[in-house]
Amino acid sequence: MPSLMVLIPAYNEQGSVGSVVEAVRQAVPDVPVVVVDDGSEDATAAAALKAGAELLQLPHHLGLGGAVQTGYQFAFDQGYQRVVRLDGDGQHDAQDIPKLLRALDEDGCDVVTGSRFLEKNDYPVQPLRRLGGLLFSYLLYPILNQRITDPTSGFVAMNRQAFEVCSHSFPLEYPEIETLVVLRRNSLRFKEVPAHMRPRIAGESSIGSRAAVYYMLRVLLGVFLNVIKYERRFHTGKGD
Amino acid sequence: MERIRIATAIFCILLIIQIIRAVRREHIRVEISMGWFAAAVLLLALGLSDRALNWISDLLGLRGSAFILLTVAGLLFLFTFFRFSIEVSTLKDHSIVLAQKVGLLEWEVRKQREEISQLRDESSTEPQETEKKARITGSSP
Repeated sequence: MPSLMVLIPAYNEQGSVGSVVEAVRQAVPDVPVVVVDDGSEDATAAAALKAGAELLQLPHHLGLGGAVQTGYQFAFDQGYQRVVRLDGDGQHDAQDIPKLLRALDEDGCDVVTGSRFLEKNDYPVQPLRRLGGLLFSYLLYPILNQRITDPTSGFVAMNRQAFEVCSHSFPLEYPEIETLVVLRRNSLRFKEVPAHMRPRIAGESSIGSRAAVYYMLRVLLGVFLNVIKYERRFHTGKGD
Repeated sequence: MERIRIATAIFCILLIIQIIRAVRREHIRVEISMGWFAAAVLLLALGLSDRALNWISDLLGLRGSAFILLTVAGLLFLFTFFRFSIEVSTLKDHSIVLAQKVGLLEWEVRKQREEISQLRDESSTEPQETEKKARITGSSP
């Protein structure tokens, strides 16, 4: 039974996805790297294939959540036991993957996220984003029953139980924070480990400073609605 | 009859004609058109009938036909748009599932094609190798 798969969602990341795949292959050799091309308009798919990744190509743009969910569905169908997800823009350091896996294996948790804020990091974070992160961290505390320092991290390792949940139920836009709520509602355990962040290799972030405000409002509402949705499911015995 | 009521009645008649034309030309699905049709007929009835307008006026506690008509029209549109939001959400969910299935199936097709071409390569090289082996064993003393 295959053990580990690395999942990289990518949208218009032709300048970076190849080097991310190569970095992952160096960090965890002989592990399948699956790139989900989310309907890119550039040569992301070709770059991923050239770098030796398995390619799942979506016919049109679904958004980050749709792409990541496709990867989790693939991992579940193929019988993988663990999945590590990292971004295709090169901001996550693939050398941290073994650290996430160790925490997943040794600490008996279902989800391990790489946090920028657990240790001092050279990566510059915009004050608005840092503020947003802190806000969500405090907001999520009563829902998750634990402090998450970097709730927007897209660097995540999951065991099969956790990505089975995500393959069925996964928020589409800005999914990281809402996913934590979904996973907690399914009684899954989290842990954070320190992770390094670097500037993007190429391209631009989808969340600019103006969009960051929309992001915060959107996610706040999303968390609220997810809490209502899952509370109701639990009370009616229909939890995912 | 007040001008707003006449205008509403004319607008509703035009809307009904437009709905019927759209259904006949298959520009709108019958089940979608029904909501609009019902809304247009209800507003037309309010525009034309004093009794209907008075009944709504008593029911909602509103005064003034223009205000009543606008309120009812607004509520109808809110309801219709909400219904459409549900339908759009359902369609979006279906579209996502389809796109994901296409992505997963394309991967499987690509894998199977690779396996087939690999098998073809092997089967085309096998006779050459057997021939070569036979030649070698034949020429050896």
